Amino acid sequence: MTKIACFVERYNFSDPREEAALQNFRCAAEKLGNEFQFLFRENIADIPKYNSVFIRATTDPLFTAYIVSKTAWELGLKVVDDPESITICANKIHQYALFEKFDVPHIPTVFLNKDELHHREISRIFREFGKPVVIKAPYTSFSRYVEKAACETSFREVAKRFFKKSDVLAVQKFTPTEFDWRVGVLGNEVLYVCKYMIPRGKWKHGAKLRGKPTVIWGRTVALKKEDAPRGLKDVALKACSVVGKGLYGVDIKEVNGDYVVVEVNDNPSIYAGYEDSRDKDIYTKIIRYLSE
Amino acid sequence: MVVSNIDLTTEKIEVIKPSKFLGTAIKDFTLNLSDDYRYLKTGYYVSLHAEVLGSKVIPSCENIIDSSRTPILLLRAAKAGIPTLPFLVTDSVKKIIAEIGFPVAIFAVNPFIHNGYKTAANKSALYRAMKSLGMNYKFAVCAQPLKGEMVSVKSIFGKSEGDRVTKEISEQVFEVFKIPVCKLHIQKVEDKTYLCGMQPLGRKEISLNDLKTISRGIALISERGEPFSD
Ligand SMILES: Nc1ncnc2c1ncn2[C@@H]1O[C@H](COP(=O)(O)OP(=O)(O)O)[C@@H](O)[C@H]1O
Ligand SMILES: [Mg+2]
Repeated sequence: MTKIACFVERYNFSDPREEAALQNFRCAAEKLGNEFQFLFRENIADIPKYNSVFIRATTDPLFTAYIVSKTAWELGLKVVDDPESITICANKIHQYALFEKFDVPHIPTVFLNKDELHHREISRIFREFGKPVVIKAPYTSFSRYVEKAACETSFREVAKRFFKKSDVLAVQKFTPTEFDWRVGVLGNEVLYVCKYMIPRGKWKHGAKLRGKPTVIWGRTVALKKEDAPRGLKDVALKACSVVGKGLYGVDIKEVNGDYVVVEVNDNPSIYAGYEDSRDKDIYTKIIRYLSE
Repeated sequence: MVVSNIDLTTEKIEVIKPSKFLGTAIKDFTLNLSDDYRYLKTGYYVSLHAEVLGSKVIPSCENIIDSSRTPILLLRAAKAGIPTLPFLVTDSVKKIIAEIGFPVAIFAVNPFIHNGYKTAANKSALYRAMKSLGMNYKFAVCAQPLKGEMVSVKSIFGKSEGDRVTKEISEQVFEVFKIPVCKLHIQKVEDKTYLCGMQPLGRKEISLNDLKTISRGIALISERGEPFSD
């Protein structure tokens, strides 16, 4: 019997489909004869009582989730997401540098540091990528700090805002598609495949409505993983191989028949009726992985 | 190779500025000197760049992150035999009172505060500390019993001013985390000394004397080729 702690924050229960997914994990764990407890922030000191930790709260080296992950890791527990995966995935500069180094096909990217925000450099980037370009703060998640810039003024405005927190940014060629492929990967194997549709008239899976703070998300269309293109799955596995052996969600765009990686996420979203709708066994597989 | 955002007093050693280093691709042992190793700041990206190039670098990204997160600093330090006090990571005032009591030292564990700590001798002071370091109770904090006196010392390549035990802790912390310049928070309880926290050493806090110590440290490393064995 494995004692599994599932680290969550209150917000993990605010969407009923996410809450249902969390309950599915619990059921899968108990069916396999394991113990499954939700671990909240006030009880981090209880980590040593468990054999493995499954993190569902948003991860970042600066968030509590990293403390949980590294503590579990140092104590020799099995942990998803492991600290190294968090460190790589939570920082776009880190992961894109690894994609570059290990030839993982990805969207053309340059890094810009704080002292390079001047006319010559901005013009060079526009010449290289055309207009608009996409600027990303390295710590972005849920599409929050990914913005387009079509002229120098807006480039400077976005970059200045993102430079407040990070001294290096990523700038990319604008590569719009109708959907992002999302490939779920666990321990070097494909777990599920879906399409994250981009809302009509928008270019990000999570898009803001004009003048409103709320984000709307495009539909999720799941495929049976056997039916997904081989080339897609190969690129996803290659991208994960430079990050680690844990649980990931790889975002991939299909551009003129080629698959290019947008990013590898640790801590991928799992909502009941979405990612799991074709491959129902994802809960059992993740629990098995945690209790190996 | 020495990358530094601190102006050094020596001319004997060739020093590259961080922005220049980020634009190069030279694979070499890299010593990254900075007065700001915070995650997402240039000091962090220099080590990241070196690591991706496949170079050995001091400090490593892992150590930069871990040494700035107090609970991980303490956990790894304790594992390495450095004296630490029991600590509690929580956002619950009640739990701190029940499990640690008063007086207590509170360190921030959130994305925004990288400096210092607060002490509390009673409930209302603890609420105030939690409110400010927990950013309105939104984030967890790291609480440690306050049994003696807190002192802060500068540590440069593991060298610090102070008594023998303080010097020893400073050396040991450097052995584990290899942060070239930092400030350590230490607690002295009767004849015992404990590591409580670490924070960046701001530029204004680096004295002329410290610059000399830094230069000596670099010279030593350059001479040996490989730095302080692992
Ligand atoms: N270079 C690009 N061109 C067009 N769309 C992009 C580009 N980069 C990202 N996007 C889209 O923006 C959204 C968020 O991007 P992503 O890199 O995944 O950031 P996050 O980590 O915030 O999710 C995704 O839907 C992605 O397809
Ligand atoms: Mg994404």
